[in-house]
Amino acid sequence: MALRKFVRPEPGRVPAAVLAVLVHLVFFAFLIFGLNWKTESPEGMMVDLWSSLPPAPAKTAPPPPPKPIEPAPEVKPPETKPLPQPEPLPKPETPPPSKPDIAIKEKTEKPKPEKKPLENKQQLEKERKEKELQEKKEQEQREKERKEKAEKEQKEKERKEEEQREKERKEKEQKEKERKEKAEKERKEKERKEEEQREKERKEKEQKEKERKEKAEKERKEKEQQARVAAEVEQLRREQEERDRLQAEAAAQARLAKEIDEYKARILAKIRRNIVMPQDLPGNPVVEFDVTVLPGGDILDVRLRKSSGFTAFDSAVERAIALSKPLPLPPDPALFPKFRNLSVKVHYLE
Amino acid sequence: MSPTVSQDMSLFQLVGSASLPVQLVMLLLVIASLMSWWYIFRKLFVIREAERQCDEFENVFWKGTDLNALFQSAAASRHTAGSMERIFEAGFREFMKHRRQPGMDTGTAMDSTRRAMRATYQREMDRLESHLSFLATVGSVSPYVGLFGTVWGIMNSFRGLSNVAQATIAHVAPGIAEALIATAMGLFAAIPAVIAYNRYASSMDRLATRFESFMEEMSNVLQRQAGG
Repeated sequence: MALRKFVRPEPGRVPAAVLAVLVHLVFFAFLIFGLNWKTESPEGMMVDLWSSLPPAPAKTAPPPPPKPIEPAPEVKPPETKPLPQPEPLPKPETPPPSKPDIAIKEKTEKPKPEKKPLENKQQLEKERKEKELQEKKEQEQREKERKEKAEKEQKEKERKEEEQREKERKEKEQKEKERKEKAEKERKEKERKEEEQREKERKEKEQKEKERKEKAEKERKEKEQQARVAAEVEQLRREQEERDRLQAEAAAQARLAKEIDEYKARILAKIRRNIVMPQDLPGNPVVEFDVTVLPGGDILDVRLRKSSGFTAFDSAVERAIALSKPLPLPPDPALFPKFRNLSVKVHYLE
Repeated sequence: MSPTVSQDMSLFQLVGSASLPVQLVMLLLVIASLMSWWYIFRKLFVIREAERQCDEFENVFWKGTDLNALFQSAAASRHTAGSMERIFEAGFREFMKHRRQPGMDTGTAMDSTRRAMRATYQREMDRLESHLSFLATVGSVSPYVGLFGTVWGIMNSFRGLSNVAQATIAHVAPGIAEALIATAMGLFAAIPAVIAYNRYASSMDRLATRFESFMEEMSNVLQRQAGG
């Protein structure tokens, strides 16, 4: 019955193996890459340590000055790291004096070549100079005369102008004075008028204010009067309302009381219907029970409060109460509290 | 162990400098991880195939094809048939045998048909569930194996510390790092194995439910045929 004794070849054995190896290769590649990436941070720290040595300021200072004098030391600083510190010290000392020397020499040499050709032409130059001097003197004389003349004219002119200016200034002052007086007069006139105007306005205003006040007073009085009347009316209305409300309440209460009485009577009637009266009891005995009622009319508890003296009657009434559930209750649940603890009083005779 | 800052912390360096037991543990874990991934993929293919064949056969069966014709085709393609087809084939073969014998009542025939189907069902489930326990084993054991490697490595690295006068973190850190790799490997092997095991187990349950309900329905069909 064995339908297959052979083992069926499973699908995808080789692809599964390839995939498994692939997963591991990917994972290890990721791991190696990640760890290699992390190892670079320690190298960075090494660089930090190396750069914290302080030859930097000494190394940067020397390069510019020694260049023109000796090019050899330029190669030295980068080659050996600890050496630069002692070597740079003498270097900056030597270059500064040597450079100024050259500068001074160049300056002193420059004027010399100019003097030599001058000596050769001294004779000619001298004659030319004397001539020039004479010409110059004459010219100066002329210049002086011209200047004096001009000065004189200038002074005359200035004096005239000064006089003219003085005159003008005086006229101006006169005019200014007149103008000011006039303005002062006008201003005073104006002020006076304004004062009058203001006075007038003030009076009018006062008058108006007085009238307004009187009017307001009158209005206020009227208002008060009205308010008093309104308050009285309101008072009356409220009293009326209060009376109405009380009446309505009383009516409602009466209605409720009526309803309660009605349902109590119904309960009693129901109980009465269920009583199996014992025969031939003397007189009119009365039994009283306390009944605890549940919402919905169920009876929770029946307790004898006052016996009639006849056990047969008492037990007959108790049975009847138990039989009468559910008791008829008013549909309004608000009235239920009145029925929670019911006292049932049953007379033997109707 | 020279504790310099520039020590190479690459993966191979860490594995290579580990002690022999730790290296053995790592080797074991690598093999376990490879195997579990192999089975994960194999089972993935197998289960997918089984579900596909199941769907196909149910489609054909409920289309109202003639049972005899279906049985002929199932018997012909026995080597490539799916599990449900095999169950059907075994049940129908048993049923036909009983029909040919005269004087056999229907109840006995149905009983033996059901037994035949159940036998095939169990065989098929066994085939589908093979190697799943390996995944469960890798999932639960390899973290412990990795932890063992780690503990061993840390023990060694602390023992080396006892000879040093001034103990710094740099003395122990590389040892601990290389030991922790064993734990990482264990977790790497365990996590996929556990996930795959849970997934495949639930797939198996669903397949088993399908087979069982098919067997019940099949019994009903055959009983009706026997009665009619």
